[in-house]
Amino acid sequence: MDKKDFWKSLKDYNGSDDLRKIKENEFMEGVTDDFELGKLTKLSRRKFLALASVTAAIGATACTDYRDKGEIVPYNKKPEHLLIGKANYYASSCTGCSNACGLLIKTREGRPIKVDGNPEHPITRGKICAKGQASIYNLYDPERLQYPIIKGRRSDWNRVDSEIIESLKKATEENKEIALFAGSVKSPSALRVIENFKNKYPTAKIYSYQLFNESARQKAWEITYGTNDYPAILWEKADVILSIEGDFLGNEGNYIENTRKFSQGRNIVNSGNLNRLYVAESRMSVTGMMADYRLRLSPTKQFKFLMGLVNNLYKKGSKIKLPSYFESYLNKFDLAEFKNNEKVKLLIDDLHYNRGKSIIYAGSNLPIEIHLAVNLLNEILDNTGLYDSKYSFVNLLPLSEMNDIRDLCDKMKAGNVGVVIHLDTNPVFHLPSDYDYVEALKAVPTVITISSTKSETADLSDYLLPESTQFESWGDYYARKGVYGLQQPVIAPIFDTRQKEAILLRWSEGINDKFDEGRYRDFIAETCREQIYNKIKPASDFKAFWYAALHDGFIEFNENVDKPVFNTRALDELTKVKILEGDYTLIITESYFLGDGRYANNGWLQELPHPVTKVTWDNYLSISPATAKKMNLDMNDMAEVSYNGISLKLPIFVQPGMSDDTLHIEAGYGRKSVGVVGEGVGFNPLVFLTKNSNNSPFVLIGVDIKKAEGKYTLSSTQEHHSLDDTFVKDFHRIRKIIQEGTLPQYRKNHHFLHEDKDELFSITDEHKYDGVKWAMAIDLNKCTGCNVCVVSCSVENNVPVVGKDQVAKGREMQWIRIDRYYSGTPDEPIVSNQPMLCQHCDNAPCENVCPVNATNHSPDGLNQMVYNRCVGTRYCSNNCPYKVRRFNFYNYRDHFADAYYENELTFLVNNPEVTVRSRGVMEKCTFCIQRIMEARSEAIARGEEFKGAGIQTACQQACPSQAIVFGNVNDTDSEIAKLRKHDLAYHVLEVLNVKPNISYLAKIRNIHTEEIQ
Amino acid sequence: MSSVEYTHEVSVIEGRPTLRSLDDLISKPLETRPDKKFYIALSITLSMLGLFVIGLIVTFYYGIGTWGNQIPVAWGFGIVNFVFWVGIGHAGTLISAILFLLRQKWRTGIARFAEGMTIFAVMTAGIFPLIHTGRPWLAGYLFPYPNQHSIWVNFTSPLLWDVFAVSTYFTVSLIFWYVGLIPDFATLREKTSNKIKKLVYSIFSLGWRFSNRHWQHYEMVYLILAGFATPLVLSVHTIVSFDFAVSILPGWHTTIFPPYFVAGAVFSGFAMVQNVLIFVRKIFNYEHIITIDTLERMNKIILLTGSMVGYAYSMEFFIAWYSGVQPEQFTFINRAFGPYAWAYWIMVSCNVLAPQLFWFKKIRRTIPVMFVIAVFVNIGMWFERFVIVVTSLSRDYLPSSWQYFTPSLVDFMILIGSFGFFFTWILLFTKALPVVSIAEVKAVVDGSQPSHKEH
Repeated sequence: MDKKDFWKSLKDYNGSDDLRKIKENEFMEGVTDDFELGKLTKLSRRKFLALASVTAAIGATACTDYRDKGEIVPYNKKPEHLLIGKANYYASSCTGCSNACGLLIKTREGRPIKVDGNPEHPITRGKICAKGQASIYNLYDPERLQYPIIKGRRSDWNRVDSEIIESLKKATEENKEIALFAGSVKSPSALRVIENFKNKYPTAKIYSYQLFNESARQKAWEITYGTNDYPAILWEKADVILSIEGDFLGNEGNYIENTRKFSQGRNIVNSGNLNRLYVAESRMSVTGMMADYRLRLSPTKQFKFLMGLVNNLYKKGSKIKLPSYFESYLNKFDLAEFKNNEKVKLLIDDLHYNRGKSIIYAGSNLPIEIHLAVNLLNEILDNTGLYDSKYSFVNLLPLSEMNDIRDLCDKMKAGNVGVVIHLDTNPVFHLPSDYDYVEALKAVPTVITISSTKSETADLSDYLLPESTQFESWGDYYARKGVYGLQQPVIAPIFDTRQKEAILLRWSEGINDKFDEGRYRDFIAETCREQIYNKIKPASDFKAFWYAALHDGFIEFNENVDKPVFNTRALDELTKVKILEGDYTLIITESYFLGDGRYANNGWLQELPHPVTKVTWDNYLSISPATAKKMNLDMNDMAEVSYNGISLKLPIFVQPGMSDDTLHIEAGYGRKSVGVVGEGVGFNPLVFLTKNSNNSPFVLIGVDIKKAEGKYTLSSTQEHHSLDDTFVKDFHRIRKIIQEGTLPQYRKNHHFLHEDKDELFSITDEHKYDGVKWAMAIDLNKCTGCNVCVVSCSVENNVPVVGKDQVAKGREMQWIRIDRYYSGTPDEPIVSNQPMLCQHCDNAPCENVCPVNATNHSPDGLNQMVYNRCVGTRYCSNNCPYKVRRFNFYNYRDHFADAYYENELTFLVNNPEVTVRSRGVMEKCTFCIQRIMEARSEAIARGEEFKGAGIQTACQQACPSQAIVFGNVNDTDSEIAKLRKHDLAYHVLEVLNVKPNISYLAKIRNIHTEEIQ
Repeated sequence: MSSVEYTHEVSVIEGRPTLRSLDDLISKPLETRPDKKFYIALSITLSMLGLFVIGLIVTFYYGIGTWGNQIPVAWGFGIVNFVFWVGIGHAGTLISAILFLLRQKWRTGIARFAEGMTIFAVMTAGIFPLIHTGRPWLAGYLFPYPNQHSIWVNFTSPLLWDVFAVSTYFTVSLIFWYVGLIPDFATLREKTSNKIKKLVYSIFSLGWRFSNRHWQHYEMVYLILAGFATPLVLSVHTIVSFDFAVSILPGWHTTIFPPYFVAGAVFSGFAMVQNVLIFVRKIFNYEHIITIDTLERMNKIILLTGSMVGYAYSMEFFIAWYSGVQPEQFTFINRAFGPYAWAYWIMVSCNVLAPQLFWFKKIRRTIPVMFVIAVFVNIGMWFERFVIVVTSLSRDYLPSSWQYFTPSLVDFMILIGSFGFFFTWILLFTKALPVVSIAEVKAVVDGSQPSHKEH
């Protein structure tokens, strides 16, 4: 035996056996002899204690509140690349719209819990829209279709596949058409699948239809420049921007990309430079809210206005020479109507003096002639350098002409169509009612819909096939020149679903083998090899190339782009334009958050306040205050709009800043069949679409409006005060909630904001923060009020959906909100947006009034909320001057729509690092403390000093304009430390001396005068 | 008027009743079976109490969401009712303690009843802080008890001060009330022939034998308790007012609140006592004990405190203007002319204008009129709390978070139910305990005290 270092005796040293035996017993002999319960005959002290402790243990365990938490099964084999408690991230692509933005999906223990933009992606650079953020809810929607359905009955894929292939064969034999009704196709592989399908079934024909699209812009581009692919715009290089009814920051084109580039031109904090945004529009859009100069312009006047500008600016000089017949045509447009309009004079001067550095943009919903005029004006002003042809929009499969779809309906009615396959499209909801698509469907023997939720079209289908969501699918996308995006599944299909491309592929390749998810992946790899790999010829072998591409989520490559050459054909088109007139003009735009209605069953999006009106769970008819007065209509009154013999009753919303006699409705609402969340929410303006439209289908001239009986309740998150109510007018300025200045003012004195500031002092000693101290800065110059931060926060922090009635009562739960204030007049309002969240005050007024210490301060300056300790007195909320605390008035997961979101599936969406709050508990923004803690523990694990660099809150990570900066103010190198000391930094309600840790950077309006008018 | 005799004090008890007749009269409700009217009254209050119970079950089951509360108005009817009922509970101890110390003999006829009302009102009030919390089952967290997490309550929170103030007030009031009852229990013990009653009265009378020594101790204890209770009368509502005054909300953050709240509490408490006593003296034939003179004196106090409250209203406005702080100024303008102007003007007309009628002696002494005025006062005082709580919260600093508060059905059920709870106790009280202090009344009957005149 080994010699020991310490020994008690020689026996011990030599390792005597006796001694070892003795030492084996912990206690000396005799001490523990009695302690064998069986041996004890009577109730000894030890037996009593033993029995008593057993009794107590049984009693204690029997009385604990054991709740059945369901079956918990541990991994018995550790999956590869998975560390429990550690998130994995995968790059993918979004299929929510035709932009196919790059995604970075966060998964925990194999389940996706958060979606953000892929930071490497060349187009969107780490940002995605609100719909993309919330799309994770679609994966866990309890009403998702879970299995194939044949005529309302559950079925299985084998039967579906064989029956449908029979019908397809039959249609082919009978020489009847097979109509593939697809959305806009941006996937080269999907296009190949369709080609394969057409080869197998020669009578197949593809129809590509998207309700809100860019086809007017695309066609105008084609007419003007002869190429298919219209360019993106280099907003960051524009000094002057004119947008005609265009919502490029709100929901047109790739608005996430636009917002990022636009905000680069608004970087006053670092560069001192600002672009100037002119917006001429009839409604009030997100872009309109950002305008430095906003011109109310009814849709009927927009063409004349634009041509007037062309005329005026052409005379001041032009890059191109126009033919004389066109010059004389131009003379008809003299801007006489705007003779006395100061803004128009400034606009003309600005455009004239900024030739080559300005850009004109028109809204997607406007007719082609406007886009032609815009192209012409940009050409005259030599602005073509701002076209970004490197990343042009690719027109992979042109959208079908409306005539084609009309013909399809006729063919269907005539019985010439054997099979209709809806590839995740909803024509019953989207197509103009006079196409009579519902009747046409009845004449088709086999109607197939592939969709992940039920829909108006699905209800009329013989076969309803469940589609996998974007988190369960493979895909490739070629939406922009030079960028090939890849999509990979991050979770196996939760239900018995398949992706639409795989279904079509199987129908064209036969059903002899077992269905394999990997088949379509291999198919994509083939596409990638043929179309990309072979083209760019990289050094690596294809396998390595493919895996690298999957890892990155996209492949970027160089493509040759021809320089666009102006084509005078556009001028001919412009001379043919007839200007329509009418009393009232109705414009229909796409909903900011529901899209074309596709997201109607997503509670987070339904509850997201409208960026302008702050209304949730509804759409409405917006009219200007003057029109409302004329019609004797008020907020929440019902009105009846009629056009072409069709009428719709819906509530009124009086929107400051709209042009008079213009009516505006957002589409995407009024779904009749989509699920519990979205059904019956809002009104459907698509009923007004007609095949006879002689303008843009979304600008209807000559509609009628009259007051209807009844009242309605719109639920909004901000109380609406009439703008001219002197009682409460301009409070945001008087109370220094919003502090703003103008560029001339700022240039004259950088410090103007703090000139006449009172010195505040505290009667107690200030607490010192020596280590890390968190703070946030929000740049109001950049914030567009787009609301992406709100959804991102809700997803990250398990914020529940509360429902329309609760929002009406003022009980919405979102931790961050965008406050919108109007100043100026109701006709010409000036809009200020301000993201408002917990200010994490150093002297937090909420903390000292909580009787149970449930809200308190952390050493690193966070205002913390301890849910377990909270009794729910709500005193903290009362004492919060910013009213950013949110109270669980109900158990909202249980309360909303009969516990719609309380089920095993939807629970999977929860972020495991964030407590799911029970009813009766106060909650609020935590500055994403879970992210801070994760970074801190990583720093500790690495043995580094924790400086707090690189942490991003969910709102910051999501903000497309990068208006939010978060970090450690005690780190003098950090951006936040600099921003907090910036001349434009201020705190809201500074005078209360609560010392918020959020500073706002005052908005500087790029106008000509020093005073804000 | 000319008949008023100024040479000696007018007796507060009219008609020189014999001591025996007082015993009989006051203990009569306890010795007779309840009549039909009592049952009708009880069934009404019990129905209201039923509403209370249903309201609470709904609240506990579903949550505070069943109330009208929201953000920004996170406190609604719950706190309004709490402050209202604590206010009602102020008259009793004021009458029994402060007026006792001030040697106001007229208090004897009404003190017992007023104290009883204090107890019941504070009981009613005490329910509200509990039920208005989001998780009432954790209300124990509000008490500083040792625990292994070493979490202590937050002593800077006025809500915590409330817990201490109200519970202390309740305890002292209850003891004070009970001590006053001891001689009466002994009297009842002597009178009754029912064995069970005798046993109960024996226990509660603590062996009282009317001995001289007992009386000496009793008087001393009563005096000490009166001295002890007096600051509490002032402190409770002062601390309740801190719930508001300590916050930073415009309309709450006001230094005038403590005296203003105390005056308001006495104001409403007296109105409630006056209301109930009008019935009691009629039903039990106590008109000579609770005389019209007593009622008139109460009305004078209502007039005084009402005017103080009116002064406070105007001073709030003045200070808001004088402060030059825009949110503060707006809060008060908004109260008077904003969306809750209706509540504000109900408050002003009930609290400031209505009691001014008591300048007229005729009105002070006319029972139906004074009754109606006192009812108005209580309506007004309820609205005062509503105005303070709701209007200040509904439009605070950021206009973006402003919202109009609408109470829910459950809110009204609980409001009505709280009256049911209170009046059920009052009704049971009238049949269980002497509503007038037998011992004290005997002491102020003409001729009961030694007087040099009669020597």
